[in-house]
Amino acid sequence: MTIEIQSLTLSYDENIILSECNLRLTEGEILAILGPSGCGKTTLLRAIAGFVQPDNGTIHLNGRILNQLQPEERNIGMLFQRPVLFPHKDVLGNILFAYRRRKDRKMKDVDEIMRDMGILSMKNQSIETLSGGEAQRVVLARALLTNPELLLLDEPLSSLDLDVRRQLALEIRATLKSKNIAAIHVTHDHEEAAIIGDRIIEWSELNPLESE
Amino acid sequence: MILIPIWLAVDRLMDVTGKSPFTAIFSLSEHPLGTEAIYFSFVQALLSAILTLAIGLPIAWWLGRHQWKHLNIIRAALTLPFVTPTIVAAMGFLALIKTGGPIESIGIDLRFESGFIGWLSDATGIENSGHIIALLMAHAWFNLALVIRFVEPKIATIPPRFEESIRLLPIGKTRFNRARYFWWPMLRTSIGSAFVFTFIFSFTSFALVRWLAPDMWTLEALMAIEGGAAGIPNYRTEASLLVLGGATLQGIILLFALGLAGYWEQKKAISNDIVSESFARKTAGKPSPIARIGVALALSFALAPLISMLFSSIRIRDRTNESYGWSTEAWDIALTGDLTYVSALEALSNSIIYALACMVVSVLLGYAVASSIHAFESNGKKKTARAIDLLSMLPLALSGVMIGLGVLLGVLKVWPELFQWYGLPIIPHAMLTTPFVIRILLPALRSLDSTYDETAAMLGYSQFQRFIKVRIPLLKNSLVVAATLSIAFSLGEFGASWILLRSGSWDTLPILVDQLMARPKYFELVEPVAMATASLLMMITFILFVITERFREHQGGGF
Repeated sequence: MTIEIQSLTLSYDENIILSECNLRLTEGEILAILGPSGCGKTTLLRAIAGFVQPDNGTIHLNGRILNQLQPEERNIGMLFQRPVLFPHKDVLGNILFAYRRRKDRKMKDVDEIMRDMGILSMKNQSIETLSGGEAQRVVLARALLTNPELLLLDEPLSSLDLDVRRQLALEIRATLKSKNIAAIHVTHDHEEAAIIGDRIIEWSELNPLESE
Repeated sequence: MILIPIWLAVDRLMDVTGKSPFTAIFSLSEHPLGTEAIYFSFVQALLSAILTLAIGLPIAWWLGRHQWKHLNIIRAALTLPFVTPTIVAAMGFLALIKTGGPIESIGIDLRFESGFIGWLSDATGIENSGHIIALLMAHAWFNLALVIRFVEPKIATIPPRFEESIRLLPIGKTRFNRARYFWWPMLRTSIGSAFVFTFIFSFTSFALVRWLAPDMWTLEALMAIEGGAAGIPNYRTEASLLVLGGATLQGIILLFALGLAGYWEQKKAISNDIVSESFARKTAGKPSPIARIGVALALSFALAPLISMLFSSIRIRDRTNESYGWSTEAWDIALTGDLTYVSALEALSNSIIYALACMVVSVLLGYAVASSIHAFESNGKKKTARAIDLLSMLPLALSGVMIGLGVLLGVLKVWPELFQWYGLPIIPHAMLTTPFVIRILLPALRSLDSTYDETAAMLGYSQFQRFIKVRIPLLKNSLVVAATLSIAFSLGEFGASWILLRSGSWDTLPILVDQLMARPKYFELVEPVAMATASLLMMITFILFVITERFREHQGGGF
């Protein structure tokens, strides 16, 4: 078992966003959650990451209860809709951000992952020179270097051109599978969900509130 | 820390006078100069604000509309007066209007009011009209940058398609109609803010009034002079009443002005999409000859007092034959301190120590307040955030003299030993600069994308690590601007320092300039030494200003 979410409920002010949400992922499984914009998919990922606190319910990751842990203590990676690259660092600087301490850096791993993601030649480039697809590759490489137990993909391909999106979706799936990392991918795009996910579920199945 | 000294001072004055701050306002008329000070403060501030807009708006329009070569240098030169210490501005204008100075040489005698100015005084019946004109011009000079910085970026970033569309409609056929129905609604909040802040700075101006219109009294000048005798039980109660009533009235007027600007901004602001300056400027193209002449005149206006001051420090009058010669003798005397208790270098080192300490205090305090406001905003506690935000702006409604008096009458009453403390001026300087630091850091914090912090958290960084490795580097530019402005304001601060450092070995450069100018001028080098000392202060401010400009991010309509 990788992650198990039980009866997760979350509301903002008076609005219930998640109601009795249950979810289970096995080791290395990639789950794609399909749902329209604004339905609460991102909120679910933010609750798993620890950026918002659920009202009720528990989140287990490999036997640990995450609810009381800070985001930085959860060992989870996340890719946002817009690639988040630190503007005060170049490409390599952004990748090395995966290591909190200089002495932890493993440059062999860095080179390897950059080669796998096809961004090795961009090592010393400014992040302003990257295309959307290249930027997401850098973000993915950085997330993978932290060896996360779970990767959360919050529509990371939504801002890309169709061709790049398909190509990158295939690459993301291949990379996650080769490293056996479990992932939750939320999207409103059926094709993208089909390419990346081992299993697809509709948001309304996950969140009973939607089906009422 | 910012408001407690003021509260303590008010408490002490209430004890001494037996009156509340509001009833003390009505006692102002009992002081022989009270009514005159209120009237003159208000009228000169209003006229200064109108004159500043009259000069500044055409310049902002030409600068914002056209493609200019060396635009950054022009902008910097026109902004320089605003960061110039007021005592330097006063010396600059004195150098301009003095006998034998550039203004007198073209037949306008503002100082002794002979010729045309004398005729004007007689015709209008206004006494000291030359001094008043000099003061209004100095206020316009000092605040010109406010108009340009508030209005010019707004003009430069409005999409040209708006104006193009209105030109095709019947209502937009004439320039007047386009100005009335399009430009005025688009620019009115920026113009209103520039007007209000110019009014506030002119209302609380002290050094310029003291040196350019010495026979006129503003509330600020009167409180500064009478403040020394205030707060002492059974001794000159009228002085305490004047300070209590004057500070309350001034505070109310300034708060009202700030509130009006805020209300105006909230009610009348139009949020529109903006385009890059280079794109918008292409539409109007190169500047017309009139625009070139206008901007050239504005540049001359901005730089003339400073250049004139520098010349006055090396142009020495020979009393034996009333001729002038060139010499660096005044600089030598300024640096060795032969005419004063401390030398310019000692005063400079005092100023730098105070400025650095003030910078540390105000940046730390300002960051703490700004990040608290931002945290409340992010957590949806908008009302709490707004309340702290408003509270943090209150010191903007307090002048240097009011803060100096607050420390003198408030803190020193509770802790008299502080009078012996070398670092005493750091308190009022930090009180004055912290609100500016908050105003610089808050927009920077608001524009900081929270996903940077969240991404770093997902990479395992603790809150402290995120602060050091993500937040500080991303806020670097704003922090440098806040720190540099804090140093510049502290270096040039005059009102509060004048109250607290009237005699001692801790004099700052502005106080030294004031002391030199207050000396009898029998020795022909006294005035050039004061000009040399002021020039030294100007040069240091100029260096700090260049640093600030290097890091400042130009983004539409603000200071």
